Amino acid sequence: MRAALLLATSLLTAVPAAAQTTIGAIIPLSGASATQGEDQRRGIEIAVEEVNAAGGVLGKPLKVIVEDSGGRPPSALDAAKKLVAVDKVPAVIGEYSSGITLPMAQYLMQEGKIHINAGSSSNKVRQIGPTSFSVIGLEAVSSRFSAVDALAMGWKKVVVIGPNNAYGHGMSEGFKEEFEKIGGSVASTLLYTEGQTSYRRELQQAAQFKPDAFIYSAYGKDAALINRESFELSVNRTPWYAIYFTMCTADSKPEFVTGQYGMDLNFIGANGKGYEEAYRKKYGMGFKTSFSGYGYDAVKVFAAAANKAGSAEPEAVKAALMEVGKSYEGATGTIAFDADRQRMLQPYLKLRRGAEGMEQR
Amino acid sequence: MVQFLVDLLLRAGDIALVAVALSAGYSLVKFPNIAIVQYATIGPFLAYLIARSGIPFALAVAAACLFVGVLAVALNLLVFERLLKSGSAIAMIGSLAVGMLFTATLLVTAGPDTRHFDFAITALFDVFGSNVTLTQMISLAMSLTAFILLALLLFCTDIGRCMRATAANPNLARATGIDARLVVRVIIFLSGMLAALGGTGIAIKSELNILLGPDLMLPVFAAAILGGLGNPIGAIFGALVISFAETLAAAINFGPLVGQSFLFIPVNYIAAASFLILVVALLFRPYGLFVNEVKRV
Amino acid sequence: MFEFSLHVATIAALYGLLALSLNLQTGFAGLVNFGQIALFGCGTYGAALAFNNQFGPVVGLLLGLVLVSLVALFFARLGRSLGSDYWGIATLAIGQILLTIATNETWLTGGAQGISGLPQLFTGSTRLQGHLILFSVTLALLAATWWLFHRLTQSKFGLSLRLMREEPQFAASLGYDLDGLRRSAMLVAAVPAALSGFLFAHYMTFVGPDQLFSTETFVVWTMVVIGGLGSHAGVVVGAILTQMLFAAVPFAKDFFALPSEYVAAMRLTLIGGGLLGFLLLRPQGLIPEKVGSIRG
Repeated sequence: MRAALLLATSLLTAVPAAAQTTIGAIIPLSGASATQGEDQRRGIEIAVEEVNAAGGVLGKPLKVIVEDSGGRPPSALDAAKKLVAVDKVPAVIGEYSSGITLPMAQYLMQEGKIHINAGSSSNKVRQIGPTSFSVIGLEAVSSRFSAVDALAMGWKKVVVIGPNNAYGHGMSEGFKEEFEKIGGSVASTLLYTEGQTSYRRELQQAAQFKPDAFIYSAYGKDAALINRESFELSVNRTPWYAIYFTMCTADSKPEFVTGQYGMDLNFIGANGKGYEEAYRKKYGMGFKTSFSGYGYDAVKVFAAAANKAGSAEPEAVKAALMEVGKSYEGATGTIAFDADRQRMLQPYLKLRRGAEGMEQR
Repeated sequence: MVQFLVDLLLRAGDIALVAVALSAGYSLVKFPNIAIVQYATIGPFLAYLIARSGIPFALAVAAACLFVGVLAVALNLLVFERLLKSGSAIAMIGSLAVGMLFTATLLVTAGPDTRHFDFAITALFDVFGSNVTLTQMISLAMSLTAFILLALLLFCTDIGRCMRATAANPNLARATGIDARLVVRVIIFLSGMLAALGGTGIAIKSELNILLGPDLMLPVFAAAILGGLGNPIGAIFGALVISFAETLAAAINFGPLVGQSFLFIPVNYIAAASFLILVVALLFRPYGLFVNEVKRV
Repeated sequence: MFEFSLHVATIAALYGLLALSLNLQTGFAGLVNFGQIALFGCGTYGAALAFNNQFGPVVGLLLGLVLVSLVALFFARLGRSLGSDYWGIATLAIGQILLTIATNETWLTGGAQGISGLPQLFTGSTRLQGHLILFSVTLALLAATWWLFHRLTQSKFGLSLRLMREEPQFAASLGYDLDGLRRSAMLVAAVPAALSGFLFAHYMTFVGPDQLFSTETFVVWTMVVIGGLGSHAGVVVGAILTQMLFAAVPFAKDFFALPSEYVAAMRLTLIGGGLLGFLLLRPQGLIPEKVGSIRG
């Protein structure tokens, strides 16, 4: 008992070392979204190494305290309060699911701390408030791109497939709106329940609509299973188009996804290429999801802004972020914030999966 | 129609084995063991690991199942039997905690990424117009074999009779000279093996991920309850009923009824369909479909 | 640090309400509820639906209470015929069905993306003051519920609940109205759960289906079991301890200075290991139910 008390007191009195610049990150490292969370973490890790190799932030090494939300809103809020009240960080990166990002960011905003969204694409993120920035293009940005791209492929009638969660809802609604605006039609939207042992039934239902193409966005083992079963059921004879192609196909056997079309972040641009190599070198594989790039850019953008401001204080960083965010060359392409501090443009790649790997269209 | 049956069977095969494992364990150790679904995760991971070292696949699966069976017995002895003395709720929360530790271990050793067993992609079998893969057939065959063996063991051997006697009335069984402790160990060992085998059956035809087990929890519990907890054979029927509800919900096109070409129940309600059937079934058969006991809350 | 402690204490008190509610059902009436989070969800969605339709928090509170009464009555109705494990799974299933509706009926509930921007209930001259008021209100509610439940379970009603739990057939033969007992127990227990949800919704300023996963029910169960099923004081202490364990994990992680890839495993190990160790060392819970402690 005494040992426990000692441990507790030493924990409570531990102060963040002043010899480094510390910020926080809250991401889902366990639970249903752990794959994306782990990939965000990888991006953050690489960025921290690069920032510190280049002299750190304000002459001090940068440290990112990574907290696991477990995919639970209360745990994420616990972590946010801890980072702000105890570690006294000026900025927090996170989360992934918009159901967690929104309350967490709202709290950070009230505290006047910087929030950098590196994973939620819900349009509601726009309304959080004046200290919240997004380095990820919100739905409106990606939906418009993929809707225009799909129509240009000559597809008029499509079926949209996505997970039945905040991401899937936002993606499918966004796509439908943009696609119908330019004259296409969405015959059906299938939001599958995550974590099933088979998606044969959903796929067979989708096939009955005889669409010109399937538009889908999925991740983790569900994405791998959907691609496998669409191959097995020959549903993939109709074209498949992936929103965030690498994420949708990361876990799939190449045979199952050859011939698919899709769009993804520009990871072959000037900075993107270098980042992709760094990632491959460190983890021995290609991107697991698209989210590592956002984690990476969130850290890099903060470091650039703090160095520009000559201070890590939220107010100064906020002003500098607006300055830096006029045009910042990130790994995911040029980052430019609009008046609501959201990323307004995002260059995407038009891709096709060939027998050898991803090809640009 | 064939398509419907194939989908129904495949889905039922996915949840039935683990549900049987849960129900069998419950028949002698009376608490819902949440860690069962983790056995279903560890089984295929071990099989994957062993198979990668060059050992033939079937042997790897057998070894993994044996290991998980032993693990289940050890956990039952060291943890669950002790907790059960204080009540089934305590034991259940204990099994939840054990599950967390398993997930932590898997996160460190395997990570959250998805893998797959490296089977060559074979030609598809055309079963009366429905596409079925070799791995799906193997998976289904594995489940069927396990069921038949279990049924033979329960109903045609001495040890099976001892098990059923102990499950029905432990005191009476002990009085007639049955070694109840041994019977419990055998059943727990079997339930561990079955769960591991069930997980492996799912993993070989789809993907291997540490969420495999936790994702199974709700359907497996629903199937086991519907079949009557403690009744392993009932659990198979429970799995069939749940799969029937889900598959029907996905397959029926109400369109022609209302003069449209298509009108489906939204697929996001498919999972809810199985829960709905569970509640409705329990309203009419309060102790599951295959139990004739009468008691109340 | 003070603010962080205040936050942990507020959440602990909100969980305390949920734990008292579950304890009355399970610990006294023998109703093994695995759908507890659905009762909580009635409170959160009551608040959110009122807010979304431009009504004030009072309407939200009332709406939450109406919703929770309906769900509680339905649960009680199911209990007429079901054995306890079966009833438990039925409540879990209903919880999942309600969760599916909340996720998919976007026009009503905001769907998977939820409803955000709910106002804080109390605005003092500073935000901290507002939080202090909220905490005091929650604490007062917790104390009131505790006192009420204590009185209730010491009364003849409490005795009949325990009789129903232990010997339902005997109780029925003595002329106890089991259906009525079950209904009253569910209704009384549902109120603090909905209140907790209502306060939580306004504290988080966000309501969404992610808050209602069935795993959250197990969190409440953990608190009740740790504290001691059947003991009001016990389950409140259990709620406080469990929430403190959750809150301490990030500090322990910093203390051990593990690389970030082990953060999640560490969190699960500390929580799972802490729970398991506790259960093995103190299997009756912190404050076990006193047998024969009824005076009334």
